[in-house]
Amino acid sequence: MTAPRRLRKELVDLQESSLKSFRDIKADDDNLLRWTGLIVPDNPPYNKGAFRIEINFPAEYPFKPPKISFKTKIYHPNIDEKGQVCLPIISTENWKPATRTDQVVQALIALINDPEPEHPLRAELAEEFLKDKKKFVKNAEDYTRKHSEKRPAD
Amino acid sequence: MDSDIEMEMESDNDGEFDDDYDYYNTGEDCDVERLDPKRADPEYFEYDCLTVEDIEKLLNELVEKLNTILQITPSLAKVLLLEHQWNNNAVVEKYRQDANALLVTARIKPPTIVADSASTSAAAAAASAQLLRIGSCGYRTASSSASSSNSNSNSTSTSSSLLSSQYRKMCPVCASSQPSDKFYSLACGHSFCKDCWTIYFETQIFQGISIQIGCMAQQCNVRVPEDLVLTLVTRPVMRDKYQQFAFKDYVKSHPELRFCPGPNCQIIVQSSEISAKRAICKVCHTGFCFKCGMDYHAPTDCQIIKKWLTKCADDSETANYISAHTKDCPKCHICIEKNGGCNHMQCFNCKHDFCWMCLGDWKTHGSEYYECSRYKDNPNIANESVHVQAREALKKYLHYYERWENHSKSLKLEQQTIDRMRQRINAKVMNGSGTWIDWQYLFNAAALLAKCRYTLQYTYPYAYYMEGGSRKNLFEYQQAQLEAEIENLSWKIERAETTDLADLENQMDIAEKRRTTLLKDFFPVVGKV
Repeated sequence: MTAPRRLRKELVDLQESSLKSFRDIKADDDNLLRWTGLIVPDNPPYNKGAFRIEINFPAEYPFKPPKISFKTKIYHPNIDEKGQVCLPIISTENWKPATRTDQVVQALIALINDPEPEHPLRAELAEEFLKDKKKFVKNAEDYTRKHSEKRPAD
Repeated sequence: MDSDIEMEMESDNDGEFDDDYDYYNTGEDCDVERLDPKRADPEYFEYDCLTVEDIEKLLNELVEKLNTILQITPSLAKVLLLEHQWNNNAVVEKYRQDANALLVTARIKPPTIVADSASTSAAAAAASAQLLRIGSCGYRTASSSASSSNSNSNSTSTSSSLLSSQYRKMCPVCASSQPSDKFYSLACGHSFCKDCWTIYFETQIFQGISIQIGCMAQQCNVRVPEDLVLTLVTRPVMRDKYQQFAFKDYVKSHPELRFCPGPNCQIIVQSSEISAKRAICKVCHTGFCFKCGMDYHAPTDCQIIKKWLTKCADDSETANYISAHTKDCPKCHICIEKNGGCNHMQCFNCKHDFCWMCLGDWKTHGSEYYECSRYKDNPNIANESVHVQAREALKKYLHYYERWENHSKSLKLEQQTIDRMRQRINAKVMNGSGTWIDWQYLFNAAALLAKCRYTLQYTYPYAYYMEGGSRKNLFEYQQAQLEAEIENLSWKIERAETTDLADLENQMDIAEKRRTTLLKDFFPVVGKV
């Protein structure tokens, strides 16, 4: 199968590229198809914390897309209470086998930094985001302080 | 089908005259004398029922024609035709105007050639020029362009084209290093190894995707041509699947072709007139609207019937609950279950004649004015509360829904009447009273009744969505007339053995005339294609 070889290469490339906004990338010891990493957003209101995500690759990878879920709770219009996120780049219709995980993660980070209230998973947060941005930012900051992980020192 | 038969009959009648005419005027002129069937019959529809082989032949002829004009491969021609509703002239014209733009919009070429390294652009441009001129298959193995299309592998580009077949590079999908002659790329220049392309194709085919399969590169929408898929996919099951899906897409993209909606029916109906007329499959006898593929719905148009059916599906539970299957006789209040299609009821208990729909005396449903098909709007509706308005809206819907549903049930019950009639006729023939042929007129009458009631059923959604005014008044008047004649006909057929033949035939003629009059006035045909 192509999955293990491709995943090993992607994992090494990602770890070597040492991105500031996506760190601490690890595959499970016994399962190369399950990765975890830490998203470190730049934009407020999420720049006060860091968010743990899990990436699950199917056995058919890269011919079928990976799935991403948040392990850290986040107050965001595009991420629901269960940590599910709707990311077009990894939807079945749009998926391309040549898409690399670092591109997927870049798309995710862009979504975290700039929410898309037009395609919300949590309608009430999208409405707050559009109608009362101040309140949204305050709620999101409080939530981040309470639930998110500590940002790495450097 | 009906119209075909009528046409034939017409031409038979005119036979003598035609012969005379042909004697003096050869050729097309004889048609002039004939009635234009489109004017005489609002439902007249010319179409053919073709097999998969017929259609393959038809499509292949179009492909071949384009091949010879533009000198391109069949695979490329198919994509271009698919993108232009199989209009050969449109493709040729666009090709002559701006071949490059044509190939870009058909997703054969990328908007700009993606170059893995700067030097590829020249090679890619040359390749696309080649693609245009002789229509190479639209893809190339890396050996023809490998000398420049490498950046993923870290090795320096010292390799000369002489060594290209031994030259190894990294496939970005499987991350393995392979000889460059195992690589394929489309016009966009994104190069991947043979094995990855193959697995990718099979994954896509498994999801039902065929001619829409795109390049594997992120954000590249260049389409994979049929011949590359069929070169690399070798498993017969997958090849068959691909070809089936592709064929479906070709047929669906052709405006003049429709798959017969009959279960497991392979027939494809073809007509150059794309309108909401009835096509009947000659193999499975399924009738459907040629435009939208749903059940035939004249005089209602495709959008309205869709709206109506969705509404009925949403609201049917309430409606079903409200419209019970039995009613009480308005005179003696005995409970009556409707067991025939006719809405002219006669209570078995008190012999009272009444209308099943409105429970009014049947006497008022006589020849002059048949009121019960008409829904009467509450004139003060605008001043009423929201609650009353909602109730009124529901009442209005239920009025039309009940009639729609009632005629649909009547159609089914009348089918049972025909079955019973068949048994009775069998018995009669056995007893020596008349021959089978003598009783055929009864079946003709029953078939006509079904046809008329079917149209009547579909007048109700039309009326429901129609705006009030003089045109709606006219429509409802004609609808009422049709309904009255249909009930008369149904009554006479149910008592056929005691009805005078001439009387029955007269009734058939009247009912059919009412039906065609309504369709001529309200079925959107002429001038609307």
